[in-house]
Amino acid sequence: MSDRFRLCPTTGLKVHAQADALIKANAVVATVALLIGGVTAVLVMLTRWQAIHLLPADWFYRLLTVHGMNMLIFFILFFEMAVLYFASAVLLNSRVAAPKMAWSAFVLMVAGTGLVEWTMFTGRADVLFTSYVPLRAHPAFYLGVILFAVGALVVVSIFFATLVVAKREKTYQGSVPLVTFGAATAAIIAVITLGHGAAIYIPTFLWSLNLMHVDAQVYRLVWWGLGHSSQQINVAAMVSVWYLLGGLTVGAVVLNEKISRSAFVLYVLFISMASAHHLLVDPGMGAAWKVWNTSYAMYLAVLASMVHGFTVPAGMELGQRLRGYTKGLFEWLRKAPWGDPGFSALVFSVIIFGFVGGITGVTFGTEQINIIAHNTLRIPGHFHATVVGGTALAFMGVTYYVIPLIFRKRIAFWPLARIQPYLFAGGMLVFSVAMTFAGTFGVPRRHWDISFQQAPFEVQYAPAVDLVIGVMAVGGLVAALGGGIYILVTVWSVFFGQPMEKGARA
Amino acid sequence: MHTGLESPTGVWWKPAHRTEKLWVAIAFGWCMVLFAMMPLWHWKGGQNPTGIRHRVTAEAFAQRTQEFIDTYQVGEEAGIPVVEPPAGSDIYLVGAMWSWRPVLRLRQGVQYTLHLSSVDVNHGFNLYPINVNFQVVPGYDYGLRVTPTAAGEFQIVCNEFCGIGHHLMVGKVIVLPAEQTAAVTGGAP
Amino acid sequence: MSFHGVPQGVTSPPAPASAGEDESHKTPGTLVLVFVFLAAFVVYYFVNWKLLSFLWRIG
Ligand code: HEM
Ligand SMILES: [Cu+2]
Ligand SMILES: [Cu+2]
Repeated sequence: MSDRFRLCPTTGLKVHAQADALIKANAVVATVALLIGGVTAVLVMLTRWQAIHLLPADWFYRLLTVHGMNMLIFFILFFEMAVLYFASAVLLNSRVAAPKMAWSAFVLMVAGTGLVEWTMFTGRADVLFTSYVPLRAHPAFYLGVILFAVGALVVVSIFFATLVVAKREKTYQGSVPLVTFGAATAAIIAVITLGHGAAIYIPTFLWSLNLMHVDAQVYRLVWWGLGHSSQQINVAAMVSVWYLLGGLTVGAVVLNEKISRSAFVLYVLFISMASAHHLLVDPGMGAAWKVWNTSYAMYLAVLASMVHGFTVPAGMELGQRLRGYTKGLFEWLRKAPWGDPGFSALVFSVIIFGFVGGITGVTFGTEQINIIAHNTLRIPGHFHATVVGGTALAFMGVTYYVIPLIFRKRIAFWPLARIQPYLFAGGMLVFSVAMTFAGTFGVPRRHWDISFQQAPFEVQYAPAVDLVIGVMAVGGLVAALGGGIYILVTVWSVFFGQPMEKGARA
Repeated sequence: MHTGLESPTGVWWKPAHRTEKLWVAIAFGWCMVLFAMMPLWHWKGGQNPTGIRHRVTAEAFAQRTQEFIDTYQVGEEAGIPVVEPPAGSDIYLVGAMWSWRPVLRLRQGVQYTLHLSSVDVNHGFNLYPINVNFQVVPGYDYGLRVTPTAAGEFQIVCNEFCGIGHHLMVGKVIVLPAEQTAAVTGGAP
Repeated sequence: MSFHGVPQGVTSPPAPASAGEDESHKTPGTLVLVFVFLAAFVVYYFVNWKLLSFLWRIG
């Protein structure tokens, strides 16, 4: 691997060969994780759909663990590593600060992933991705997570080092772009997150070797310091991608740098205590602690999201208006490039994240309302809207730009690629809304058999529940189809696709 | 104007425009409403998760529950003891892989202090069909003052994954109607 | 014009908007959208408080 640069003909950016390669490697592993997560999603879905009830109980819980880990941890985080290299080295025309270390970090993360996959698939870690102590997994499971996290922490440090290198070598003028600024906040939150990760997984690893005691409530408290702040990494990364896609697809402008950047800073300031809203109906903490911490100190992180939820579409609107789409209220939206999968993914990501994920999240995260939401299907309904309909979809959209710009390939199966965001977003919307609705009847999450065939007492949900879960299954399968198309298109384009140079504008 | 991909040059700390300010102000106002609702419900509302919370060892809690069962047992259902504790008393429910013990027979409109804990892993208390959910954590006694407001049969579904038998873990609460309560307590209000 | 297999933002990137500072910053369409959002939020939030109030008394 060399230290050469190439000039991107589209954006005029200088791209470091190492950045290129690191982005590719991380994106490829992310896609493998997405594939594993996607196949298990279908199996799990077909089991929760009681009409089919596909898997036996042990494999249901096992593959639910596999689904959670691969999607929420491996897919999302490997992708975010790629985003960090992109936002630092590529956007700032810089070299990657420490390429050798970057590759070691990558190897460490892959090794950790391998350990975790092995323990999960061999039935040594049937503990779901939360692994609440004292449920016990094989020590290699915790060790794998630790290796993965250390690798991620190294990548985050390289990101910051690259920002310093770029500044010192004057590869850009003025301040870093907003997208890089947003990615930097994601990286800062990642440090906080991984700190919590170390604080919980190292003791738990020792506990699994019978070397120390870990309290069940303390575990939940610290674990969610990791589990929730990592969702805030996703949000910050997703919002950065929104600004990125807005700029790439319709030339969205930044209305006001001060406002957008301050909103990112709010994410950093009010996240560290966000584990609270997973513990609202736990016995360990009192009312004042719950009220203060769940609201992220008076909901200032929610404020930040509401601000981005305005500035992102407003930037698109103003950008379009500056280019002449000025008629009426919505000409800027009607005349937008809806056939561009980058654009449609962006719009659906904003809508699903805000209208479904955001509203349900804040509502369920209210101290008392949590009593009617905790551990019901309302919760996975909520987060499939945030992290899947929001983050994963935004990441899919940006891939349609990463492939031509970084991988230098045309998108294969272009007509399929164009409808992919519609399938994924439409399916996810139906899936998450139906799931949330089923949860209002009290249907539990993470449950193999809600017909309670072998239970000592009879429980019979309202007939509507069967219908709603059927709708949820159909939505989930359509989304999975969209996910499958995404994998087909990206893998084919990258490995067998036509190079961009042929016929591309110079 | 520039996009989010370009480095802004010069001073970008500029005053916001009217619509931006308007939206930030409205959003902030709404966030304050969200914040205020929680203390307000503690003060005026009827459902709060605070309770009385203590640390407790698994052995101590299991023993306390056993004493409770021995004192008030009135029968048995599906192999699980049924207890009918006096109005206003402390009542105990223990989660263990994979059952809830005992079956509680309560009276409508009467307040009890319901103690929840686990003797092994985390479990989840989910009251069917009214959808009340609490986390049941080993090592902690969660004492909730509950007043059943309707009579009937309720089931307790475990909604925290607790191992391979998780989906078998169903318990039961029977709430006798208020008229019967009057008979039992000798007509006292 | 886009050509096969490459998103429009790559083949024909949006023209630079730097031509003019639009000092008015008028985004009426977005304003309508965010108010629809706020209305949905308010309704869902308070419906949930209402649902909660039907439960047993717990404290
Ligand atoms: C492609 C379509 C997808 C479908 C059909 C799907 C379906 C499901 C289903 C049915 C469950 C089980 C819910 C339960 O029983 O509690 C589930 C859980 C979950 N899903 Fe997905 N999912 C999809 C994509 C994703 C993605 C992309 C992510 C993350 C980025 C994700 C993250 C999770 C997590 C974290 C859980 C919770 C696991 C647990 O409770 O331990 N899913 N999903
Ligand atoms: Cu249980
Ligand atoms: Cu359980």
